[in-house]
Amino acid sequence: MRVPVLGKVSVFALLVMGAYTYYANSIPQLQSKPPEELSLEGGNVTPEQLVKAGEGIFKEKGTCEVCHRIGQKGTRAPDLAGIGATAAKRKPGMTAKAYIIESLLDPGAHLVEGYPNIMPKVDRPPIGLNRSELWAVAAFLESLGGTVGVKLDDIPKTAVAAEVKLPGDPKAGQAVFMGKGGCIACHKAGAIGASPVGPDLSQIAKIQTPEYIMAKILNPAGMGTVAGYPAGVMPATLGQTLTAREYLDLVAFLLTLKGEGAAPAAKK
Amino acid sequence: MRFRRSALALLTLSALGLLLALPAVAQEAARTAEYRAFPVIGSRLAVWAIAQLHLNFAAFILGVPIFAVIIEIMGWRTGEQRYDWLSHEFVKLTFAAFSTTALLGALLLFLFVGYYPKFWAYFSGIFYPTFWVYALLFFLETFTVYLWYYGWDWLSGSKKWIHVSLGVLSNLFGTAILFVSNAWVTFMTSPGGIDEAGNLTSLWGAINNYTWMPLNIHRLIANVVFGGTIAAAYAAVRFLQAKTDEERARYDWMGYVGNFVAISALMVLPFAGYWLGREIYAFNQTMGITMMGGFMSWLWVVQAILIGVLFIGSNYYLWLGMERIPGSERYRRYIPYMIMILAAGFIVWATPRSIPVTPSEMRVMGGAHHPVLGVLGVMSAKNTAVNLMILTTFLSYLLYRRANKESVKPWVGTGMAVQWLIFAAAAAIVTFYGVYGYFVESIVRIGFSVYQVLAVLGALVLVMAIDIPMFRGARSTGEIRWGTIAPRSQYVLILLAVTFTWLMGLMGFARSGIRQHWHVYGVLRDTSPDAVTPALGYAANMITVVTAVFFALVLFIFWLGGLGEKGKAEAGGHAAPAIAGGSHR
Repeated sequence: MRVPVLGKVSVFALLVMGAYTYYANSIPQLQSKPPEELSLEGGNVTPEQLVKAGEGIFKEKGTCEVCHRIGQKGTRAPDLAGIGATAAKRKPGMTAKAYIIESLLDPGAHLVEGYPNIMPKVDRPPIGLNRSELWAVAAFLESLGGTVGVKLDDIPKTAVAAEVKLPGDPKAGQAVFMGKGGCIACHKAGAIGASPVGPDLSQIAKIQTPEYIMAKILNPAGMGTVAGYPAGVMPATLGQTLTAREYLDLVAFLLTLKGEGAAPAAKK
Repeated sequence: MRFRRSALALLTLSALGLLLALPAVAQEAARTAEYRAFPVIGSRLAVWAIAQLHLNFAAFILGVPIFAVIIEIMGWRTGEQRYDWLSHEFVKLTFAAFSTTALLGALLLFLFVGYYPKFWAYFSGIFYPTFWVYALLFFLETFTVYLWYYGWDWLSGSKKWIHVSLGVLSNLFGTAILFVSNAWVTFMTSPGGIDEAGNLTSLWGAINNYTWMPLNIHRLIANVVFGGTIAAAYAAVRFLQAKTDEERARYDWMGYVGNFVAISALMVLPFAGYWLGREIYAFNQTMGITMMGGFMSWLWVVQAILIGVLFIGSNYYLWLGMERIPGSERYRRYIPYMIMILAAGFIVWATPRSIPVTPSEMRVMGGAHHPVLGVLGVMSAKNTAVNLMILTTFLSYLLYRRANKESVKPWVGTGMAVQWLIFAAAAAIVTFYGVYGYFVESIVRIGFSVYQVLAVLGALVLVMAIDIPMFRGARSTGEIRWGTIAPRSQYVLILLAVTFTWLMGLMGFARSGIRQHWHVYGVLRDTSPDAVTPALGYAANMITVVTAVFFALVLFIFWLGGLGEKGKAEAGGHAAPAIAGGSHR
C-alpha cells in the first residue's frame, strides 16, 4: 500500500514533536507555586517555630536562596553562614538584629564589598514579605551563628501587615448554607441544592476571591448582579441575621467550592 | 474569493468594534468577577492555546512579506521572472493565513474580556489609546496587503515600482503592528510608566519599557526565520508530491530559498536573544536569575537541544544540496570537521550550570556543579560555542555558494588566503574572550560577548565582501540540477519548521512563565486557581498539542488557498517558470 505524502509528513512531524515532548517530560519537573501568606501577628510562637518558618520563607517565598548560600561562597551574593554573629561587627554601634532588618528592607544601605547592588527590597513586590514573614526571616538569619532575639515590634510598621486568616469551619458553614442562611433555596453548591434561581456556586472559590465572597454576602446589591440573573433577589439582611461565627463558617464553606462535584465539606 | 474578502472585512470590522468597546465591557465585567472558569479545560489553557496559535499565524504573516518583497525587488531589478513568481507564491501563502490570524486575535480578546475581566480592566486602563493606533494600523496593513496581492498583474511593467512600494509599505505597517502588540506583552513582564500602586504616569514609559525594544528586534528576526522555515516546509511537501521533474525542480528551488532566508536570519537571532536576556536582568535581577538559574533552568537545556537541531539540520540540508551541484566534490572533505565543531558546540550549549539539584545529586557530583563539565555550563563557554557554530554554518553556506564555480580572477589565491585568515582570526577572538571570561568579574564578562559577536559579524561581512567580486564572472563547473536533491533533504526542511515552531512555543512559555504568579510583574497579582506556573513536561505537552493543531490548520488553509488558484496559472496569471537546469545565483 502506498502511503500518501501528507500521511508520511504528518507522522514524521508528530514523531519529532513526540521526541521533544518525551525529553521535556523525562527531566526534573519543577513547578513555581504562588507563595502562601504567613501570619504570626497576635499569635504565640516559640523561637524554634519562628526560625523554622523563617527558613521556609528564605527558601521559598523570599527567593533568598537563589543568590545567597549558607556555607558556600556565592558569586552574586555573600555567604550567610554565621551572619547572626558577624552582623554585629559589620557597622560600629549597630546590633546584629538592626543590621539584618535594615539589610532586608534597604539592601543597598549595607553593601558587602565585592558584590553588586542587585538585591531587591524584600517587603516590596514582587517578593513582598509582610511583617510576620520579615520577623521570621530575621529570626532565621539571627539563628545562623547568633541568638534569636528579634521581636515583631522590631519590624517597622511601614512593612505590610499580614492578611487576616479566616477561622471559619466549612462543615458548620455548609449547615448554615442549607439551613439558617437559606442559600440553598436559590443556589446550587456542588452536590447540594439544585435551584436555578441564583448562580451555581459549585466553583465559586475557583473564580472569586475571598474578599468578593465576603462582601457579596453582606452587600449583595453593591457587588453587582451576575449577568443573566434577576437583580435584587438576594437578601441584604444576612449581615444582621447571621452571627459572626456563622458568617465566617459560611465563607469558609464557600471557599471550599472548587468545582469538584460533591460539596467538599460533606466529604470530610 | 469575493466571499473571502467580504468575510475578512467583516471580521476586521467586528474585531475593531470589539477592541474599542472592550474597556467599558471589561470594567462592567470586573464589578462582578475577577476570573471566570472556561469550561472543561480552564481559562489558562484556553488563553494559552489561542495565544500561541495567534502568535504562530501572526509571526508567519508578518515574517514572510519581509523576504517576499526582497525577492520581488530582486526579480524586478534582474528581470528574472522566477523571482517574481516565487515572491507571489510566498505572498499567496501569507494571504491564505491572514483571516485566520485576525480570527484568532479576536478570540483571544474574547477570552481576556470574558475570563480575566479584572486583568483586562487594568490593562485597558493603561493601554487604551494604543488600541486606536493598533486598529488604524490593522486597517492600513489589511488594505495594503490586499492591493499588493491583487494588484500583482495590474501594477506590473512600468508600474512595478508602485507594486514594490506597496510591498514595502505593508511591511512597515506590519512591523508597526508588531511593535504595538509587543508593548502590551512586555509591559506585563517589565512594567514601566506606572507608580508604586500601578497607576499610569506615562504611557510612553509603559510602551518603552525595559524589554520592549529587545523583544521587537528578537521577534522581527524570529518571524523571518519562522516564515522561511514554514515556506520551505510547504515547498518540501510540494516537492514530495510533485509528479514531474519540472515541478520538483521548482519546489526544490523554493525550498532552498526559504531555508536560505531562515538560516541567514537564524545566525543573528542568538544575539538578539542575549540582548533581551540582558534587559530582563537589568529590569529585575531576581527575575533574570529565576529565568536562568531557578525553576526554569532546565528549560534552557531543552532550548539548546532544539537550537542544536536547527543548526545541524540547516547544515545537513546544505551538504545534501551540494550533491546536486557538479564540482562540489572538492569541498566534501571539510564536512567531517564541520560536523565535529557543530557537535562540540551543541554539547557545550546543552551543558547546564545552575540547575536545582537534590542533596543526593549534589553528593554524587561533589558540589552544586559537575566537577569537570560544570565549567562548560557558564555563558563564557556557551557564547563561544554558539559563535563558532554560526561561523561554521556560514562556512557551509560559503562552500555551497561556490560549489559549481571556479574563480577566474588572478588574485584568487590571495583572496582565499585572506578569507581563511579572517575565519581564523574571528575564531581566535571568540575563543580568546571565551577563555578570558573565566578570569574576570561577571560584569566584565558580559561585555566580552559584544566583542565575540562583533568578530563574527565582521567576519561574515568581510568574507562576503571578498567572495562576491572573487566569484563574479566565474567559470561554471556545471549547472545546479534542481529537483535531483535526495528526498530525505525535504524531511530536513520539515524537521526545521516543526522544531522552530516548537521552539517558539517553548520560548513563549519562558517569556510568560518568568512572571510566575503575576499578571503584571510586581503590580497585578494572579489570584486565580491557575496561578501555579506549570512544570516543563506539562508545558511541553501543551506546546505539542498546539503546534500539531497549528500545522493541521496550516495544511487546511494552504489546501483552501490552492483550490482558488487551480487553473489560474494556465489562464495566464502567474505561470510557474521552468527552473530545471537553471543556474543558482
